[in-house]
Amino acid sequence: MSAAIGASLTLDAIRACLEGAVPATIATCAPDGTPNVSLLSQVHYVDPDHVALSYQFFNKTRANILANPIAVLQLIDPPTAAQYRMELCYLRTETTGPLFESMKAKLAGIASHVGMQDVFRLLGADLYRVTAIEAVPGGAPLPAPVAQRSLLSATRRACEALRGCADLTELLDHSLCVLQRLFGVDHALILMPDEATGRLFTVAALGYDSSGVGSEVAPGEGVIGVAARERVPIRITHMTSDVAYSLTARDGAEDAGLTGGPAREIPFPGLERPHSQLAVPILAGRRLAGVLFVESRQEMRFTYDDEDALATLAAQLGALMQALPPAEEVAPVPAACPEAGGAPAVVRHYAADDSVFVDHDYLIKGVAGAILWKLVRDHTTLGRTDFTNRELRLAPDIPLPDFAENLEARLILLQRRLEERCGVLRIEKTGRGRFRLVVMKPILLQETA
Amino acid sequence: MANGGQRGGQRSGWPERVGPEGGRPARAGLSEAILTFLERGVSLVVSSSDGANRPRVGRALAVQVPADGAWIGVCLDRTANAALLAAVAETGRFALAATEPSTHLSIQLIGDDATVTAADAEAAALAARHVDAFAAELALIGYGDAFTRALMAHDPATLAMVRFCPSRLYDQTPGPKAGTAVPP
Repeated sequence: MSAAIGASLTLDAIRACLEGAVPATIATCAPDGTPNVSLLSQVHYVDPDHVALSYQFFNKTRANILANPIAVLQLIDPPTAAQYRMELCYLRTETTGPLFESMKAKLAGIASHVGMQDVFRLLGADLYRVTAIEAVPGGAPLPAPVAQRSLLSATRRACEALRGCADLTELLDHSLCVLQRLFGVDHALILMPDEATGRLFTVAALGYDSSGVGSEVAPGEGVIGVAARERVPIRITHMTSDVAYSLTARDGAEDAGLTGGPAREIPFPGLERPHSQLAVPILAGRRLAGVLFVESRQEMRFTYDDEDALATLAAQLGALMQALPPAEEVAPVPAACPEAGGAPAVVRHYAADDSVFVDHDYLIKGVAGAILWKLVRDHTTLGRTDFTNRELRLAPDIPLPDFAENLEARLILLQRRLEERCGVLRIEKTGRGRFRLVVMKPILLQETA
Repeated sequence: MANGGQRGGQRSGWPERVGPEGGRPARAGLSEAILTFLERGVSLVVSSSDGANRPRVGRALAVQVPADGAWIGVCLDRTANAALLAAVAETGRFALAATEPSTHLSIQLIGDDATVTAADAEAAALAARHVDAFAAELALIGYGDAFTRALMAHDPATLAMVRFCPSRLYDQTPGPKAGTAVPP
């Protein structure tokens, strides 16, 4: 073991060995020198100098490293079967936090992959410093597969494509567009947080039969909720049967403190049987501005490199979201509202959670529901059709946090829900910071406590 | 590549007590059940430690159990395992973990009287047979033949044999019994 880190072989160079596709081997020894060898289901890349190993049982390996911190791993590169040895020095164990949670999620996928979902359970993330790496001499590795795309190039081009976006709608739409065009992603969502409840709601979707715009995820729920809570990318490389990470299996019974009444859940649009999932937090400064989520029916679809690329894209997206100016009005546009006719549609508002139903069909709730209720009230009582973002931001009955994109996100959500689910109402942008409520048939308002 | 499939069911661990089977004498002090297991298409990983208590790790190619022997032989490629073989020669410490990938059944054998010897004439054929069996075993869980043969690639001219008498056996099948001593 002579190759020092940074000299010839680096941890970054052999990161594919740490994807969990093929078990590694770990050797340790007791203070009296007695050796111990066993297979290891998870070696997690932390940074260019550190890895973390999964601590699942208090076994001989663990007893040994607590007494003698040196361990040696033998790793296998999944596509080529090339082997490497890595010498480690144990530093500490983490039982909560971002590292622990990202390993826990990944282990859930590995456990299901090898039929060990009832056995593997992460008790801790054992952090090690990597002290040496060598290629195992001899052997006859297979040729490395040719990469489908350059992730670095895709990231650069994606960041460039987002730079010219004028508002949040464009940022979200362009983000999904570049994910598909440059990264070959077929299924993606962008969710944004509701600061009041901490829940995340879907504002943009790619590749699903039903867009799921408006569907919600609680903090800590599934890969998206854990990524949001821990502010760390969460990646699962194999389909997991662990219900903790399944979003589509939810029964949707939570209704934010309401009992009874019609259902107010928009179904989550995710794949029924995803084999790979990756959720990346979008940070605007220190604030969580959203979560970028991608998934695939293909195993091992998203690697460490994909995670790095999408984390970079999410960082750019977060910075651009933070830099968006409030979309204040600049130019009035003459009204051109179609004449409403026919039998009235009933728009019902439940004050308890600001949910809005149109002819008994659930449409939206929360801040977006409060906005819609204000719009239809002003329309029926004052005859108004044109509105500005500024007046909504100042309206006392719409509880909005401080950040500009919160209102924008709610308007995007509302606009998309109306497009998808309502043939009665529509929101059209009429200029910077201005929009119009289009009422296509008479409406009758009903308020319920 | 692995597809997640597995030959389910056999995850019962090792028997609490294993006596002489079929009237055959125990070889190397090990039960026939354990010896048979070692000769199946199992994954064989090994370790030792040097005089400074630094662990060494490697992958073995086959296990040899002589009919009349008090020891078992573990066949390794010298080129790939130079540091490990040096440690064995220095301290005599040796551990072998055998794991059946499709069932996760696993056992570790530890001894402290290991010696490094030249591989005999049968070693190359023994290693070739084990690679065939291991490839068939890994195929059950979705690994292609080319992958397994690349993983086990070795030069038949550079084989070594580590001989040792296992003095301690441990169940390493993942689960609540992992780490418990197994009677020989």
